[in-house]
Amino acid sequence: MGLLSDPSISTHNKLVDSLAKHMRKLCYVFYTAGVAWFMCLALPEFNHGTYLSENALSPGLVYPEIRIDANRLALQLLEELQRERKDHQSTTPHAWIMAKFNEFGLETYTHNFTLRYPFGGGKEFHGKNVYGILRAPRIGSTEGLVFSAPYRPPSSVHDEITASVPVLLAFADFARRKNYWAKDLVFLVTEQEQLGMQAWLEAYHDGYKNYHSSSSYLVAGSLPARAGSLQAALNIEVQDLEVDYVDVKVEGLNGKLPNLDMFNLVQRIMAREGVTSGYKHAPRKRRRMNLSPYEQNLRQMLAMLATQATGVPNGNHGLFHRYRIDALTLSAAKRVTNSNVKSNPSSATVPLLKSIEGISRSLNNLLERFHQSFFFYVIVHNDRYISIGDYMPALVALIACSFVKAYLSWSTLDAAERHAQQDAAGNETDPVVFYTKLSLPYGFVLVYLVVTLVIGYMGNVLPLQKYLMELSIGAGPLTLTMLIALNVAGIALPFYVVLPPGGLELLHICMLLVYGCALIVIGLLNFSLGFLVAVLSVPMVVALNPSSTNGALRGLARLWALLLNPMVVIYTVVLVLTFYEFPELTFQQLLLRAVTAVMDAVTFALIDSVIYGNWLYFAACTVFFPLWIICWTLALAKQSDNEISQAKLKTN
Amino acid sequence: MIAELALTLLLLLSPLALGQTQIHQFQYQTDEQFHEELVVRPLASDHVNTYFQFTTRWHGVHKNLYHTQLTPRVIAEILQTYDVKELHIGLTQGLWRYETWGYPIVEATGGAELWAWFSSPNLTDDSVNKQWMRLANVFSGILCASLNFVDNTNSIAPKHIFRPQFMASGNRSHQFVRYATLPREIVCTENLTPWKKLLPCGSASGLATLLNSGYIHNTKYHSLGVKVRTLCDSDDPSNCLVELTQTANLVYDLKLLEQSNTDFSLRRLFGMGLNGYCEMASSSKIYVQLNEQGERFQLTPTPLEEVLSTVGGHNVLFGVYDIQQQFEGPGARLFNIAWIGPKGNSKREHTSPPPLYAHRYLLGNGQKHGRIATEVTNTHYEPLPVVLMELVPWYVHAYLHTLRISSKPQHLHEYTSNELKFSLLHYAPGKQRELPTHLEIGFMLPARSSALITIEVDYLLLKWLEYPPDANHGHYIGSAVIGSQLPIGRNYTALPLEGYLFQDSFNASQTAYTLTLRTEALIVSLPTPDFSMPYNVICLACTVVALAFGPIHSVATKLIIVERQTTIPRNLLRKVVHKLTTRFSQAIHQYCCQ
Repeated sequence: MGLLSDPSISTHNKLVDSLAKHMRKLCYVFYTAGVAWFMCLALPEFNHGTYLSENALSPGLVYPEIRIDANRLALQLLEELQRERKDHQSTTPHAWIMAKFNEFGLETYTHNFTLRYPFGGGKEFHGKNVYGILRAPRIGSTEGLVFSAPYRPPSSVHDEITASVPVLLAFADFARRKNYWAKDLVFLVTEQEQLGMQAWLEAYHDGYKNYHSSSSYLVAGSLPARAGSLQAALNIEVQDLEVDYVDVKVEGLNGKLPNLDMFNLVQRIMAREGVTSGYKHAPRKRRRMNLSPYEQNLRQMLAMLATQATGVPNGNHGLFHRYRIDALTLSAAKRVTNSNVKSNPSSATVPLLKSIEGISRSLNNLLERFHQSFFFYVIVHNDRYISIGDYMPALVALIACSFVKAYLSWSTLDAAERHAQQDAAGNETDPVVFYTKLSLPYGFVLVYLVVTLVIGYMGNVLPLQKYLMELSIGAGPLTLTMLIALNVAGIALPFYVVLPPGGLELLHICMLLVYGCALIVIGLLNFSLGFLVAVLSVPMVVALNPSSTNGALRGLARLWALLLNPMVVIYTVVLVLTFYEFPELTFQQLLLRAVTAVMDAVTFALIDSVIYGNWLYFAACTVFFPLWIICWTLALAKQSDNEISQAKLKTN
Repeated sequence: MIAELALTLLLLLSPLALGQTQIHQFQYQTDEQFHEELVVRPLASDHVNTYFQFTTRWHGVHKNLYHTQLTPRVIAEILQTYDVKELHIGLTQGLWRYETWGYPIVEATGGAELWAWFSSPNLTDDSVNKQWMRLANVFSGILCASLNFVDNTNSIAPKHIFRPQFMASGNRSHQFVRYATLPREIVCTENLTPWKKLLPCGSASGLATLLNSGYIHNTKYHSLGVKVRTLCDSDDPSNCLVELTQTANLVYDLKLLEQSNTDFSLRRLFGMGLNGYCEMASSSKIYVQLNEQGERFQLTPTPLEEVLSTVGGHNVLFGVYDIQQQFEGPGARLFNIAWIGPKGNSKREHTSPPPLYAHRYLLGNGQKHGRIATEVTNTHYEPLPVVLMELVPWYVHAYLHTLRISSKPQHLHEYTSNELKFSLLHYAPGKQRELPTHLEIGFMLPARSSALITIEVDYLLLKWLEYPPDANHGHYIGSAVIGSQLPIGRNYTALPLEGYLFQDSFNASQTAYTLTLRTEALIVSLPTPDFSMPYNVICLACTVVALAFGPIHSVATKLIIVERQTTIPRNLLRKVVHKLTTRFSQAIHQYCCQ
């Protein structure tokens, strides 16, 4: 027999045994190392300066040609649009935008879409996007670029960004008179925030597929004209023509990011044109805070992690990433009137227009899709980044705990069993140990795992059932009730189902393996989510030990497990956010307010998952919640004819 | 059934009958004739179409092959060597926009397009394949285009869509057609120069002097074409005529000329005025469209002659400038025509789209599979027969069972679930790295409605050496070709089959007008590895792992047992046999070695 199949080589040897004794210490060392590594990444020695990998971009190779007359046009268009807005309080002045596109000589089209709102008896919302295509002279419509601007009616609750459309139109007018375009330019004005963009992209890429199936909530409609395969997109949100600074937003759906080259390109061109810009750029006042560079970097990293972890795009650009179109948002903030800063309104937008021109010309140069630079990165500073190779070790170190623990538990499992058996029936020999490992209740544990998974999966399915949606309760209460009911079921499960002997240990090992794999996968898809979940939950997972005899530690683990219940976590997060948002409320008001906010948050997450394909809700229901149920079971440690633990339970 | 019959009837043109009179009319006085023509048509939304046509007719193929005066000898030789009776080459940059520009005089798809008819009594399919590749190679040299990439992996033999325009002696069963496109081909000055060299006057004089690369490549659409056909007398097979037509079709965008108004002139379009005509030319004419979009312009100088052409109930008014007349008399001068637009902001009029137009796009995301969707719209009030030909390259697998034709009335936005029926279907499945998928379908498109033809495709993972440079640019799928028969002549400007000059299209009313359209080409992103340092590292690491796996696996699972080397059997009988055989083999061995 060879090395692998030799039974005489035991899985437990001296080294493993001694390691198993210090298992918890080892795990905490891993945990600390992971977190410390991540903290270190904010140090300039650990991250890298950005550079442009794609030579074809050659930013700033050409002199900007857009002149002050474009600014004049933008001003004039803004005035016209402000007049139009008086007549369109809650709608988009489609006719005006179309007329302008037509006037500039673009092919102009409209796109209708319908949202079948699933809750509260079902309502239908209609929307309409307007887009103009500039057919490039140098290509037969095989490739295209998208320039989009969201339109918000005056009744919108969000920040006013009326100036985006005039800026877009002014650039379109300029671009129309140039003959160097090698990619069709699509100028798109969307409404209904991200819904319009999502509908447009779905219609562009899925065509008429959705129409026959009535199950989809967003009926994307059809597009009368297209511009080939879209290579990149730039979303423009301009609050006012007098721009103070530009915030570059990159985070997309499910934490996807545009190619780092595109971000760098924008940074370079903005710097060249003298526009203050940056990632998560804040107004001047807050920027003056005296923070050390390290602290600033760390804050920026954590801010990016927080935005990315939700998986919700922070601009219309985020929806492009799913179709492998690199996109980002230029969010230009309004200049606060300041007597020190004198600005000339007749040339205020020229730098912004010049940078848009520069970006578009660089994108126009692209021969291939963005593929050179990083798609997975964390921005530390406007010109510093951490690549996936540098940040993954932190996550791997955290998750390594669960795998190490799983291995050590598995290798010491028969030892523990042997001790138990020896206590019961005197001396036993090795073959019996081998036999006990095979006789563990695999089937029962598997069934248990499946049951927890089903409970979790219900969270996805139940709130969307036809008969429930037709009830007259709103979406929020409905979803929340469902989730709380499932939570109660999850909490009660270990009290009703008692595992057979050995089941708890086996379940523990299974849980560790599933947990580790799930976090690695989630961390690869969305590092921020994986990392944050790991930071919160790894200590609890390490502390969990169903066969432990230390009462205090078990109590602590139980408390921790309870605190990490997904619903509790969501409530805590929302509570903290509410506290910062409304500091004037009393504590009781705050608690109540947080409940309604949780209701909204859960509903929005569900709607995001069914309309946009955000998988945060799905992951929380189908991965985190079942894992939590298992953790909870392990923390309670109920197992039949395990007298010692039963007795301990009673004393507790 | 009736529809099917109508369709096949419409498609079966009989060029033999049409052209017969033409041959007899042909004057035998001159062996060769050369004509140069320029057509200028203002289009909607400030675009101008200029179309150059240079026609050479040579009547003397069988007299002396090596003695041509105006026809390039290379063309004459090729026709003989490769049994080519008809040849079309198009080198195009850009896309013709049917909805705003109407139909072009000559159709072409983006990139390079090549099709040819072969006919000879003892041709077989295989020999035609060989001839075809040689022909493409020769023209690759003549036109400096990458036509040498045309081979059997991207060529097909269209069944229904192309009809021969030549007249050959002999029966029609010995006619073979081949078609190929190279959508990635980029057309530039390197193609224009050799193309101009095929002209009798070159670019020295005549209308060809206007073709300056600095100007004509700054257009929205430019297409160079070479068309050769042989016309033979059906009674006398040796009495043949070779017709070479060289076309340059350009569309200028007046907004790109960087001027404030919409005035234009020959000088502004081509960088210079006309300095004369080609002395070899029998006729040298400029046609200027005066009605429709041309109505808003005033011409200086005004044309000497005006011609009203009525084609299929559609009137077009042309002004004619005879250049030979203009340059009569001594003295060097330049001739220029200026179009002066109306002052002030002219109202943009709405142009009605032509009776039939088509678009194509790719649906689906990801690098695994997608759907090719072709949308054909009929704005006419009668149903139209439509034949669609798809050439799907081998790196994309198309599945016939997913082919659907859904239709919708024109005013609706969404396609309904009712499907149109095929009246003809020809499908030749592709083969990886060998054959492209060839699909031709025919159906009747109801009046005022659109049809959406979708077929699902899978993208293939290529071998690592099969990726072109710039692999992440994507791979091309050539345009679809759509054929139809229009009952009306609106927007229709193509030359009639028996004609060879632009003026032959005047008043050339027919019962039906053959139309072929080209759609957009598509770019697909095949699954592409990251051709960079990490990719190389992965390749290397995989190789190392693969090499290491074997020995490690055998060390881990196998046990080395030392066995005594005993080859002599224990049984007595076998011992004897063994001894004998070893002896015998040794003897043979020795014998052989000696």
